[in-house]
Amino acid sequence: MEENIQNVLVFTTNIKTKRDKRKVSNVLNTNTDIIKWNIDTQDIDCVLRIVTDKLSISQIIETIKQHNFECEVLE
Amino acid sequence: MRLRDNNKEDIVKQKAIEMLVNQGIEGFGMNRLAKESGVSVATLYIYYADKEDLIKKIAIEIGRNFFSAMLKDFSPEMPFVQGLRQQWENRARFMMENMDEVACWEVLQNSSYSDYIVQETFKDFKTIMMDFFQNAVERKEMIHVSKDVFWSIAYGPLYSLLRFHQKGKSMGGAPFSLTAEVQNEAFELVIKALTP
Repeated sequence: MEENIQNVLVFTTNIKTKRDKRKVSNVLNTNTDIIKWNIDTQDIDCVLRIVTDKLSISQIIETIKQHNFECEVLE
Repeated sequence: MRLRDNNKEDIVKQKAIEMLVNQGIEGFGMNRLAKESGVSVATLYIYYADKEDLIKKIAIEIGRNFFSAMLKDFSPEMPFVQGLRQQWENRARFMMENMDEVACWEVLQNSSYSDYIVQETFKDFKTIMMDFFQNAVERKEMIHVSKDVFWSIAYGPLYSLLRFHQKGKSMGGAPFSLTAEVQNEAFELVIKALTP
């Protein structure tokens, strides 16, 4: 059941509210290359966490930015 | 390649337990935990989806350790006195060796996570302890009492003594440490109360 940590990507975003979350939910839910995702909207960095064995960091950043949100790799 | 660092994970878990005990669930946050554990926030989020996920995983781990420790060298088929003695020993040992975990377990038991914890960790243990109780009643090794009264009499004295031990003092502030003699003295009285 344990996730393979090689496949976990984490980003800092400005996806803060429920409404923001709804905007990206659709595209993340329908992307079959994403195994699992969640956003910690309670966190200061609004961390977006994605489990995928196919997508690259830049593909995800691009997808989120297309929806007019900030998205950078969380260091 | 990213390597799973068990050492780091253990530090994170230990710090999380300390923070939950000292600051409660409300004061607990991923950023602060990262800072206190000396790991990056990113590392924390690689291991855990969010605060809730982390708390649940910690709760399950404590619960599993707790219940497997309680079942060590124990079977529900055991004669009543022998079985209860084993329970006392197992519970006392675990609680004395894992004070932080036990304190954290109590914090989580009194939170909105308690239903989840019961569901995920408690079930099998509860069945085994119910079997033990019923076997003792059927074999007439124990007097007939309701479950709740049984629990209070059977374990209440031990937990009171363990609480004194944790604080290092008993009622009135006198120094206290739970020794085998004291534990045995209390156990004998419990047996007196519960056996025909």
